[in-house]
Amino acid sequence: MEAGGDTAAPAPGGAGGLEDTRFPGEETDDSEGVHAGPPHLGDGDLEETGSKAKDQPHSPSPLLHSEGPSSTRTCQLWDSAASESSPMGSPESGSGGQGGDPNDEDWRSQRKHVFVLSEAGKPIYSRYGSVEALSATMGVMTALVSFVQSAGDAIRAIYAEDHKLVFLQQGPLLLVAVSRTTQSAAQLRGELLAVHAQIVSTLTRASVARIFAHKQNYDLRRLLAGSERTLDRLLDSVEQDPGALLLGAVRCVPLARPTRDALGALLRRCTAPGLALSVLAVGGRLVTAAQERNVLAECRLDPADLQLLLDWVGAPAFAAGEAWAPVCLPRFNPDGFFYAYVARLDAMPVCLLLLGTQREAFHAMAACRRLVEDGMRALGAMRAFGETASFSNASSPNAPAYSVQAVGAPGLRHFLYKPLDIPDHHRQLPQFTSPELEAPYCREEERQRLSDLYHRLHARLHSTSRPLRLIYHVAEKETLLAWVTSKFELYTCLSPLVTKAGAILVVTKLLRWVRKEEDRLFIRYPPKYSTPPATSMDQAPHNGLFPGL
Amino acid sequence: MRKPDGKIVLLGDMNVGKTSLLQRYMERRFPDTVSTVGGAFYLKQWRSYNISIWDTAGREQFHGLGSMYCRGAVAVILTYDVSHPQSLAELEDRFLGLTDTASKDCLFAIVGNKVDLTEEGAPEGREGEGCSPRQAGGGPTSPRVPKQVRLEDAMAFYKKILKYKTLDEKNVPAAEQMCFETSAKTGHNVDLLFETLFDMVVPMILRQRAEELSQTVDITSYKPPKRTRSGCCA
Repeated sequence: MEAGGDTAAPAPGGAGGLEDTRFPGEETDDSEGVHAGPPHLGDGDLEETGSKAKDQPHSPSPLLHSEGPSSTRTCQLWDSAASESSPMGSPESGSGGQGGDPNDEDWRSQRKHVFVLSEAGKPIYSRYGSVEALSATMGVMTALVSFVQSAGDAIRAIYAEDHKLVFLQQGPLLLVAVSRTTQSAAQLRGELLAVHAQIVSTLTRASVARIFAHKQNYDLRRLLAGSERTLDRLLDSVEQDPGALLLGAVRCVPLARPTRDALGALLRRCTAPGLALSVLAVGGRLVTAAQERNVLAECRLDPADLQLLLDWVGAPAFAAGEAWAPVCLPRFNPDGFFYAYVARLDAMPVCLLLLGTQREAFHAMAACRRLVEDGMRALGAMRAFGETASFSNASSPNAPAYSVQAVGAPGLRHFLYKPLDIPDHHRQLPQFTSPELEAPYCREEERQRLSDLYHRLHARLHSTSRPLRLIYHVAEKETLLAWVTSKFELYTCLSPLVTKAGAILVVTKLLRWVRKEEDRLFIRYPPKYSTPPATSMDQAPHNGLFPGL
Repeated sequence: MRKPDGKIVLLGDMNVGKTSLLQRYMERRFPDTVSTVGGAFYLKQWRSYNISIWDTAGREQFHGLGSMYCRGAVAVILTYDVSHPQSLAELEDRFLGLTDTASKDCLFAIVGNKVDLTEEGAPEGREGEGCSPRQAGGGPTSPRVPKQVRLEDAMAFYKKILKYKTLDEKNVPAAEQMCFETSAKTGHNVDLLFETLFDMVVPMILRQRAEELSQTVDITSYKPPKRTRSGCCA
């Protein structure tokens, strides 16, 4: 972690509990930070810094009208809402906030807010509420950031009573999370990074930088219009189906190894000019992926990029037709676009993604898709997916999952298992597995509770100051056991009545089951995706040189 | 393998109903709105021809790809929202330029969608489902508003396009033929729009085929340069 944040952060009212000074996820530790925080945030310092930062949009209306035609239209819709919001105080100071937003109660009762704004304080995205109504709030955030910045430092987090405020500056974008979940600041930062990656994937870092260099108060919402839902879904998944972001791993569709191997071989066989990566996925879960070594030579796909693609192809926009769209892989090359062919395969919930470097290659990709489709038909792969689906208890047919009953360990309700002992040559494909969420984790609040518990245990295991290896945690409605070894990282959720000995027994049973099923649960030997890079140097110039639009 | 014979492209600002129009025609339904990512490709069998239809994203984000989708197109459907005058203006400002890559005798259709939202409304739901448009429009979501864009405005725009493309009015279909007012929600005029266009496109396909024999310009038969030695074996 970068140094330097620690000294200056206390400046705004001495509220600077900094993330590394306390154990993430331990509310009790927040005691000293609490009292100093909120009152000062609201009154004194902010007035001052707000006026210091020039071009602060204090009243929302003028800035709305300054933009092009498409935003003018939206502003008619929001105008009334926006004008009501001007007397807004500082809602982000948590418990002490005094109204302002039209949907006040609802808005403030949200457990976690995520905001994206430009350096000039222009709102770009907010998980809840209308961005327009939040101009003043966002102005306050910019003020906080620029105040600390003026002291040659960077604000990273504020701990205020039960709230954590995490700030992340990425180029001309400022991302802020305001949370009263149990997530640690580090976990929230991870989430903000994922939000940023999502934005970069649609626009590229270079074009975002170019836009703001050209016009500091540009309204980026014009370009992000339509992508907000993707961000919403990303943030919801953290609370409703935790795992991918928390563990930094992708979830695989459970599949018999011969079938998976055959599909991998099929993907390798079906190529097209400029094809860099082929992915088969079902409901945001990976079936198999094949990387074309001629195009992506030494650069291996980052798991975060793969997860981003999996989330992306899950969008409802890809449900019909054959889509062709540019997409940027932020970890691979944040400044250039790939071109993606996305289609649902013939009457199957299976989604094929073909990622290439050629802008005009749609028809070549479409031909490649037909090869894959024919190949799958020949393999009888649909039947395999049918079986996978029936293995699951119910839920949506689009997400092949399995029931926790399959483990045969009574008392086990849910778990996340990430193998760490995978052979070295495919370490670049971190994976995890978890059963579908069943009763009692059906409703939103219950899923949030479970997600909170997982996040809390994860933060404790990975605490930078006092990491733990094994935690047995008795919560109000469930008992959890988290365990990290050199071979795996495991989070289990058990019935509340289980005894310690019983829990150990369940976990032993689970580990045995995973060992038995691992060929089916994980991609043990990923195809080509992981083969050592080709040695031919002449291919190298192709890497990372795809110009933006 | 089915090879598309002619290409039609749907263009227009976001949220005017391009995807909905196409889904209404192809699947006879009016699904929930989704925001298109990039462009979506559909193939429609019309007589013995395969007509490809590109449903493009209206979002500014994907603007850069627009001219690619339009390359070699035989017809472009420029869509606006009758309750949003700005969406017609956008067609001229943002979308007309994209059609420069279209085939030189490309047809233009101007389509005002969402007439079900306006007071005049659609007189009757042509091939629409059972409910009358009056009922549909009176739903909780959409109080009727006066129509903001008149058909004459669309026709004036059509003539502007001809001027822009330096096309002679005598050689192309008249504005009355090429300006439509539709409702993807009720189905009003949707079939008429697509099928009129398909019929007009067929002779162009035949002409293109004849030309293709002498010179190859069709992107669909694009053969990329050989890039690697390994090819398809691996």
